[in-house]
Amino acid sequence: MAVLAPAPVSTAPVPGKKRLSRALSERRTRFGLLNAAPVVVYLLVLFVYPIFSTLMLSLKGDDGAFTLHWYADAFKGANLEILLTTLRISAETSLLSLVVGFVLAAAVSRLKPLWAGLVMVVVVVPHFISALVRTYGWIILLGEHGVVNNALTGLHFPGAPFQLLYNEVGVVIGTTSVMLPYTVLLLYAVMKGIDRRLMAAAASMGAGRLTIFRRVYVPLVAPGLVNAGILCFILCLGYYITPALMGGPKQTMVASLIDTQVMKQDQWNGASALGIILLLLTFAGLLLLKLLQSAGERYRNRGTAP
Amino acid sequence: MPETNVIPEPSLAAPAALAGSGKALSVRRLRKTYAGVTAVDEVSMEIAAGEFVTFLGSSGSGKTTTLMMIAGFCEPDSGSIVVGGNDVTRLAPQKRGLGFVFQQYLLFPHMTVWENVAFPLQLRGVPKAEQRRRVGETLEMAGLSKMARRRPRELSGGQQQRVALCRALVYRPPVILMDEPLGALDKKLRDQLQTEIKRIQQELGLTVIYVTHDQEEALVLSDRIAVMRDGRIDQFDTPQELFERPRTPFVADFLGAANFLPGRVEEQSADHTLVRLDTGGLLKARPQVAPDGARVRAGVQPGRLFLCPAGDGFCTGTVETVTYVGTLVRVTVRPAGGTATDLVRLELPAGRAPALGERVDLAADPANVSVFADAEDGG
Repeated sequence: MAVLAPAPVSTAPVPGKKRLSRALSERRTRFGLLNAAPVVVYLLVLFVYPIFSTLMLSLKGDDGAFTLHWYADAFKGANLEILLTTLRISAETSLLSLVVGFVLAAAVSRLKPLWAGLVMVVVVVPHFISALVRTYGWIILLGEHGVVNNALTGLHFPGAPFQLLYNEVGVVIGTTSVMLPYTVLLLYAVMKGIDRRLMAAAASMGAGRLTIFRRVYVPLVAPGLVNAGILCFILCLGYYITPALMGGPKQTMVASLIDTQVMKQDQWNGASALGIILLLLTFAGLLLLKLLQSAGERYRNRGTAP
Repeated sequence: MPETNVIPEPSLAAPAALAGSGKALSVRRLRKTYAGVTAVDEVSMEIAAGEFVTFLGSSGSGKTTTLMMIAGFCEPDSGSIVVGGNDVTRLAPQKRGLGFVFQQYLLFPHMTVWENVAFPLQLRGVPKAEQRRRVGETLEMAGLSKMARRRPRELSGGQQQRVALCRALVYRPPVILMDEPLGALDKKLRDQLQTEIKRIQQELGLTVIYVTHDQEEALVLSDRIAVMRDGRIDQFDTPQELFERPRTPFVADFLGAANFLPGRVEEQSADHTLVRLDTGGLLKARPQVAPDGARVRAGVQPGRLFLCPAGDGFCTGTVETVTYVGTLVRVTVRPAGGTATDLVRLELPAGRAPALGERVDLAADPANVSVFADAEDGG
């Protein structure tokens, strides 16, 4: 969860080389490097090397020569559509998870600790069960003769039964339920950290509930919203099971495409290119997070003072 | 949603105008119980515009609960609160138009100092130019002009509390409530801010209700002090009255750590009461209606006792301890024939300290001695 790591605080600007040598001369730094070594080796062998070889694979043509052919392929026709679908579904899912997560976390953060703990257990425990089982659970609930549609038809709800499976609605419902614990936990932590007496302070000087929510509460939760949104988006980008099972042909996401290319077409180079594109998209997401954070900081630092 | 004009907006000159018209706030028979325990019991008071009133008491005395009820953060079981002629007892805090300064500052961390102070003005729909002028003036007055663009977390505790003060007074509420605002600061800063709060209050003619457990702070700041105990007001008077003519032993003890000397009323007249102390001496006190022979306690502040020639005082004893505290010396004297519980404490100028073990005679001006019936508790 590198996303959550706080940005390193940059101290006084020291020229790069000087800073490095100064840092190395400190006993604490050297000790720290020694401690970090095993993990660094582990990551080099099991993370950096595979990614590097994937990158090489994606740049290799059928004849073994360097080519960008696979990347060009990824941005063409059906493949491009799948990429765009992935981005769209990820965005929709993130937005829905944020809204539902916000409401849920806000409610839980007002409960007494015992009740809050209980609700959090209810939110989190289903995710101890494998995603596959949960997805089949959703399929039972949302099918044409599933629980939801039966109930709606029973109530003579206009338009029922609805098509809730094998389309975008189904995918977004399924993925949102998978992502919800992340947004709820993240937002809950931020909301718990907000001093509720700040709202009392705002009320004491005449602010109504809506104003307090808009001018005090939401701005204080905003950093959490950005973090949770981006995390959710990144997790969605590479998500496989739920979209594959709950979506139709129009909801194919990149992960499914990679699966098809490797398992059915034995097309490792193309799959590698898609993998690298996903990785770059993830980095883009993280960059966006950074930019949003610093933009927020700038926005807040703009003095209205003359 | 429009954020404007929820609260009546008094003009800049309002406090001064109100000062002539008298009452800014009255509290009538306020009562609050928590799970059967009475926190505030029939508290009533009238506060004039421009007055600085302090609720003084130890924790659990009901001072903070009373303040919270005035602010609207908790609802009284019975009684009423009237601000500037309007009954606000059942109004939500945001509709009362009061100012509140919290012990924990509670500045909005996502706003700059300037934005924090401008916030209540924005709520009232004050025009931009007017906002700029008033926020500027207020920050200037508190010596914070250079901090305007900073974030609360970049300020020291004292500066943060100054900003909180600015934020509470920038919209000129008819009454500003302060809940131990200096409680989290160190002694030196506290003294400095006390002076500053008093100066600003007097300059602007603000009506302030201040809660503290620090009697020194109460004495420095207040026009009047309500000494609270067990949910009731023991005495509501000027600092001088409280100090010199405490009505209950509790007040005498809380404000001046008084000596209480047990005895019996021996004689009464229009200008004094004579008390025969249990340790043998005869002490002349302020006149007090009490039957002859009644058991009483004579209360006298350590600082109001002095040494006198042998035979002139109400008590002869030996010096037990001498403690230097800067310009003063604290001395305890054990009366002849008395036990450790009869020790009399006095404060003398540093130059006049007796030696340990010396025999001394103690005297007091009758005007500084109060007589309390023995049944009264406290002390």
